[in-house]
Amino acid sequence: MLQHGPLLERLLAGDFICQITDEDAYRHLSQEQTQQEINHYLRPLNRRLVSNDDHSVYFLGFHELTKEAREHLSSQFSLTVQSLLPLLEWLQLVQETLGRDSALTAGDTIKLQEFVLRTEDNQSLRQRLNTLASDRFFNSQSEQLDNQVKLIFRRLKEHGYLLQPHAERQYYVVTGKIDYLIDLIRFIRDEEHLPVDDTPTQEALI
Amino acid sequence: MAPLEPAIASNLFSIGAERLALLGKHHKALMQGYVDGFIDESAFSEGALKKLIAARILWRPDEQQPLALRPLVSELIASMVADENRRQINADVAEKLEQIRNRVQAYRDAQFKGDYSVAELQLQRLTEHVHDLSGQFEEAIDSLWHRLNSDFGFVSSLDDKIRENERAQKQLRRLLDGLDLLDFHELIELSEGNNHLRKLLVSQLQNQLSSHHSSLLEVQKRLVELLAKFRQQQARSLLIANMAAFLRQHPKYQPADYPHRSDVPSLFNQAASIKPQAAIALDKATERQVLAELVRALPRPSSVTITDTQSASFSLLLQDEEIAARQQALKTDVENFYLRVIDQGGKISALDYLSTQQLSWDSEIWLYQIIAEYQALPLDEKQMFSITREEAPASAFNGLLLIRDINIGLKAA
Repeated sequence: MLQHGPLLERLLAGDFICQITDEDAYRHLSQEQTQQEINHYLRPLNRRLVSNDDHSVYFLGFHELTKEAREHLSSQFSLTVQSLLPLLEWLQLVQETLGRDSALTAGDTIKLQEFVLRTEDNQSLRQRLNTLASDRFFNSQSEQLDNQVKLIFRRLKEHGYLLQPHAERQYYVVTGKIDYLIDLIRFIRDEEHLPVDDTPTQEALI
Repeated sequence: MAPLEPAIASNLFSIGAERLALLGKHHKALMQGYVDGFIDESAFSEGALKKLIAARILWRPDEQQPLALRPLVSELIASMVADENRRQINADVAEKLEQIRNRVQAYRDAQFKGDYSVAELQLQRLTEHVHDLSGQFEEAIDSLWHRLNSDFGFVSSLDDKIRENERAQKQLRRLLDGLDLLDFHELIELSEGNNHLRKLLVSQLQNQLSSHHSSLLEVQKRLVELLAKFRQQQARSLLIANMAAFLRQHPKYQPADYPHRSDVPSLFNQAASIKPQAAIALDKATERQVLAELVRALPRPSSVTITDTQSASFSLLLQDEEIAARQQALKTDVENFYLRVIDQGGKISALDYLSTQQLSWDSEIWLYQIIAEYQALPLDEKQMFSITREEAPASAFNGLLLIRDINIGLKAA
């Protein structure tokens, strides 16, 4: 268990472990033997290892759902629900601004400067970014585009959706937590039978 | 088939060489035509155009249409530059097979007649056909890999990529069907009793085709995987767009309370964070050395004695009190001045009063305080006093006025 010390510490701190954030740790976590060891170790702390459906990201959940645990989950859930729209809008905005043909996935790189440059010249993108930055989730007070973008990316880094490989270089890598977010949305959609399609219509296929 | 007469053969050679040279001579204009899809006729002289048309390099598809490259020439260029947008895959095996059969027959007939030079020529043609057949697959496989490895980067949108992938899969199926047409029993029969034929049709062709077959299967696997990836990306984009639209339309939307269900979905089971903390422990004698070094390595605070700071704050406090007392004294003196005005009933100059009473205030501060006190009066009391300022311009160039003195008097009620 000693060799997984730093990994356990990250997990306990609430980090999401995926191939992007920590490749070695992710490889370890993908082995059933290690999973069992870690779960055994975490048992007295009332924690267990949880992953999303396709096992692309690992994090810790409660082992037993005590009253306190449920209260924590409940408050966390309402925060997550609040953050859904700003996160989705950000995903759309990045895709459109950078002219990508598909949504962001784990491992994609975003250059901050490129994003700023493209937004600067486009009034409608600028407007959307402005609205997004002032959303409660990002809560920017600044009117400056540069500051708004920096704040948005910093917040997403804090929330674990982005990774900044070099502190002084302004480029970010999308982490596997995005997959988790998508899974979450898909789950809510299925569970609540929301009228939200993700298959192209018949005309689009032809 | 009769062998070509030397005269015709040399004629063929010179015409072919001449026409190939035409391609080289007009390479830039022709390439521009390939890119644009039509030929800019002004780039050529009339004679050159005639020659190019006669050489079957250019043609006019329709009376109204501009000149264009012949499809075969376009195809040649597409294959040379691996332009996947235009490159074509020829999956027609039946025709080639038919030609091979005919050539084998002609070869055997010539041998039977003992006409060895004709037989030699037929074998040469047969070899070409076999190589063509193999090359046709090679070209197709090369094109498919090229498209795969570039992730279909030659089209921009995801929808186009999906369509291109599906098209490639159809081509691949046709190629595999074509391979199925090749019946090695038939080829073995064809080459029976002839070493040359057996080598060409059986060992060589079989070898090549079986390697093509496995390549095609590999490409097929990868194409299917890539298509699945494309579809997944497409689904993700759509989910994001549609969910965002839904949430925008229903700002009050609140999903069910999953954390309070009896069976909490694992996606929502995200535990509170625990931060392991540690402090220095002194119970292990072996670690003392390390700890002592750590303590020694601590940066020392700069030497500020405690008494110094105490006296400083003490005097500061005293000063504050002193200032408050002086302010109070000034206020009282100004109030006395106003009382004098009321007693006397006439106008009194502030500075005169200051000097007659032998007060120690600086004259400017004195005037300020008098004005401040006047402004602080309630409105009805303010009206009881008349205030007149003795002013002088500060300089001839601006409208700035300096107050020299103030006269306060009681207004006649």
